[in-house]
Amino acid sequence: MTRFVTVFLLLLLTLFTLEVLKPVQEHVIVPFTGMLASLSDAIILPFDSSVVAYGKVLQFRDTGFAVSIEAGCNGVEAAIVLIAAIIAFPARWRDRLLAIGLGFLAIQVINLIRIISLFYLGNWNMDVFSWIHLYLWPALIMLDVLIVFVVYLRYLSRNKQPTAATGD
Amino acid sequence: MIEQHHMRQFLLFVFALLIPTFVLWTVASGPLAAPAIGLVNLILTHWFPDVVNTLYVDGSQALLMTEFGEKDGMLAPLAGAEYRLGFPVNTRILSYSLPFYTALHFATQKKEYLYSYVRGLLILYPLFVFGLLCLCLKELMVNVGATFFNQPGVFVPNANVIGILYQFNVLIVPTLAPAIVWLWQSKESQLLRSALGNL
Repeated sequence: MTRFVTVFLLLLLTLFTLEVLKPVQEHVIVPFTGMLASLSDAIILPFDSSVVAYGKVLQFRDTGFAVSIEAGCNGVEAAIVLIAAIIAFPARWRDRLLAIGLGFLAIQVINLIRIISLFYLGNWNMDVFSWIHLYLWPALIMLDVLIVFVVYLRYLSRNKQPTAATGD
Repeated sequence: MIEQHHMRQFLLFVFALLIPTFVLWTVASGPLAAPAIGLVNLILTHWFPDVVNTLYVDGSQALLMTEFGEKDGMLAPLAGAEYRLGFPVNTRILSYSLPFYTALHFATQKKEYLYSYVRGLLILYPLFVFGLLCLCLKELMVNVGATFFNQPGVFVPNANVIGILYQFNVLIVPTLAPAIVWLWQSKESQLLRSALGNL
């Protein structure tokens, strides 16, 4: 456990420092956030004609309420936590990569639900929007990370080969 | 099947507890933050006596008052300024780690709840204090700028260090710290024992 926590924290700090570097922001984080905004547009627009989208901004035609999807709304920090935890835990690289891929997908699905729910909540009540945006959704995203990690541990436990080494 | 039962029970309880714990915390967030604000006030006024006047509780947030004022939109010494410059600091963006941990803790089946809960809070609260310190440093960096960095004879952390510490303490620590404490304290719980199996 101590080894896991140490490696996890070191990886977390390294990945987080990498994430905030300007070139990484410019070439990875900003384009990824833009892609997420386009995906949110693509999900909402076919179902709601009162919504318009331009770039990373979603807006209601009637009320004028709009949200801009910015870096920090992209679930990357949660993904970093999950990646660090998966790599820190001893397992085969094939399992780790599979878990990182599926876990990243799980985080982004929840994150899209978060973006869309916040867009509608903000149009209804700004106080509720701020409360859920700043406090409740971050906790729910981390809960998602925790669940993915526990499910991954259960998968490893069930698929452990009797002769296989526990670390690479 | 038993593993799924533990997971289902945990999820059910955690979702049922999240809203009441967050609502209680919203009501009590001012008093909850008061000791942290008092501690950070002590640190900041001793560390930067020429820049920080005080940090005090203002409803559900904190107010960071400086030794400067503003004149014609520019930072000015207090003597010639129109008013004392201060900045609101939202302590809730750090302290929501407490209701999150509370929901995780009480949603997990354990032999003993209260003692380990208090121990968990004793780990999380100093992190909240440190996060608040980083939040105040970031406010001073952004709003006081060169005057903050160029204090003679006073060690001021590098702007990049303050930036990274602020981001880490606001974006990661409030959700990650409760999760780590919960994992650590729950490693003997049926939920995690059944998940870990023979690993």
